[in-house]
Amino acid sequence: MFSQLASSLTDGLLLGFVYGVAAMGLTLIWGVMSVINLAHGPVIALGMFATYLMFTLLGVNPYLALVPVAFFGLLMGFVIYGVAVHRVINAPHLSSLLATFAVNMIIIGLGTAIFSTSPQNIDFPLGSLEIGFLTIPVTRLLATAGAVLFTAALYLFLYFTRTGKAVRAVANNRRAAELMGIPSSLVLALSFGLGTMLAAVAGGLIATFFPFTILSGGPYELKSFVICVLGGLGNPLGALLGGLILGGLEGLIPTFMPVSWVPVVEFGLFVLVLLVKPSGLLGAK
Amino acid sequence: MNLLEINDLASGYEGVQILWGVNLRLEKGKLTTLVGSNGVGKTTLLSTAMGLLRPWQGNVTFAGQDVTHLSAHARAQAGMVLVPEGRQLFTEMTVYENLEMGAFSRRSQATFKQNLEKVFDLFPRLKERFRQKAGTLSGGEQQMVAVARGLMAEPEVLILDELSLGLSPLLALTLFESLTRLKKTGLTMLLVEQNVSMALAVSDYAYVLAEGRVHLEGPARDLLKNDEVRRTYLGI
Repeated sequence: MFSQLASSLTDGLLLGFVYGVAAMGLTLIWGVMSVINLAHGPVIALGMFATYLMFTLLGVNPYLALVPVAFFGLLMGFVIYGVAVHRVINAPHLSSLLATFAVNMIIIGLGTAIFSTSPQNIDFPLGSLEIGFLTIPVTRLLATAGAVLFTAALYLFLYFTRTGKAVRAVANNRRAAELMGIPSSLVLALSFGLGTMLAAVAGGLIATFFPFTILSGGPYELKSFVICVLGGLGNPLGALLGGLILGGLEGLIPTFMPVSWVPVVEFGLFVLVLLVKPSGLLGAK
Repeated sequence: MNLLEINDLASGYEGVQILWGVNLRLEKGKLTTLVGSNGVGKTTLLSTAMGLLRPWQGNVTFAGQDVTHLSAHARAQAGMVLVPEGRQLFTEMTVYENLEMGAFSRRSQATFKQNLEKVFDLFPRLKERFRQKAGTLSGGEQQMVAVARGLMAEPEVLILDELSLGLSPLLALTLFESLTRLKKTGLTMLLVEQNVSMALAVSDYAYVLAEGRVHLEGPARDLLKNDEVRRTYLGI
C-alpha cells in the first residue's frame, strides 16, 4: 500500500513539473500584458504534433526535437501576437479573450483538417528505472529534467539578462518602461512568444508519454488555469508550485477513489482557492 | 541655442481639449520651470512632448530634429528623459535594477559605471538600499530613485514632473539642492512644480501655464517679483 502510494505520488509530481511549464507560459503572458491566452491549449497540441512529426518523419530524438519545437513555439507566439493580440492590447479584456479564442478555433480547425482527430503517439520506449520500491518510467524522468531545464532557463533570462529585465519592467509599469527607452510593443511580442514557447515545449514533453490528438491541448489549458490560480496569477514560481500540487493530486487521488473524480477534486480546489485566497498561494499584493 | 522647442502644441483626451497652442523653449544648459495651478495642463503638456499622447496640432523639435511623430521610447533613446509624476518606479524590481533599466537606451550603456558613481554620489542613501525592492522604500527615497533612474539614461534634457509632490519640506529642499548641483554640470532641465517659490529660486527662466496656454513667461528672477505671480502662486 505504502509503496503504491509513494510511486503514484512520484508519478504525479514528475508530471506536475510538466504542468508547471505549461502554466508558466499562461501566467507569463498574463503577468506581462494582462491577456488571458485562450489559444494556449492549441499551442500545446501543436507542440505535441511538432515533436511527433519530427520524430516520425525525420527520425529526430523527441528530446532533441524540443529545441526546434521551442523555436517554433516562439515564432507561433510572435505571429499570434502580431495578428490577433497587438491591436486589442489596450482594449477591454473581452476583446483579447475573443481574439485569442478565434486563434484557438483556427488552429483546431486547421489541425483537425490536416491531422484528423484520431489519437497519435510517439513510440519511443525507454523502459523504467527501479529506485528502491519505486518504479519510474524513464520518459517521465526525462520530461521532468526538460521541464526543470526550461524553468531554470526562464528564470535566468528574466533575472540576469538585459532583455529579461526589460520584460519584467514592462510587466511592472509599461509607461515608465517606454519612458526609459524600452520598446514596449516589442517586449510584449517577445513575452507572448515566450509564453507560447513554454506551451509548445510542455506539449512536446507530454507527447513523449501520453497519446494525443489536436484537441488534447484543451484539458491542459484548463489545468493551466487551475494551476495559475492556485499559485497566484502572474507568478512563474507559483505556477511551478501549483503544477506540483496538481500533479501530486492527480497521482494520489486514483489510489483512493475512481479516476473520474480527479477533475471534481481539482476544480473543487480551484473554487476553494478562489473563495479563500483569490490571489493564490504565492500571490502578492 | 534651444535644445527643445514646443511649437503651437494642442492636445487633450478623448475629445476634451486641454492644450490650446502652447509655445515653450528650453535653452541648452539652463534650468527652466513650468508652473501653474492644478488642472491647467502641465502633465498633459509633458505627456504630449514625450510622445505618450498624440498632439492635435503643432510640433516638437529636439536638438534641431522634428520628433513630433517619434514614439516615446525613441525620444528616450535620443536623450529626452522624463521623471514622471508619482515616480512610476518598477516597484517589483530592486533599486539597482531600476537604475539598470534607466540605462536601457544604447546611448547610456558605455557610461553606465560613471553614471552609477555620479548617481550614488548625488544620493548616497541609494547606495545602502540598492538591493532592496524599489516599492519598499520611503516616498523620498523613491523620488531619489526616480531622479537617479532618469540620470542613468544619460539625458540631454531631463524633465522633472512634480518633483517635490508629497515630500516633506526638508526632503524637497535636499532634492532641489541636487538640482542645482546637476545644473552646474551643464544639464538642461525642465522642472514642473507646484512648489513655485522653491522652483523659481533655482531656475533661470520660467513659464506660467493657465487654461492650457502660456500665460506669462520671463526670467525666473523677474517672475518672482511679478505681482500676479506673487498673489496667485506664492500667496503673498
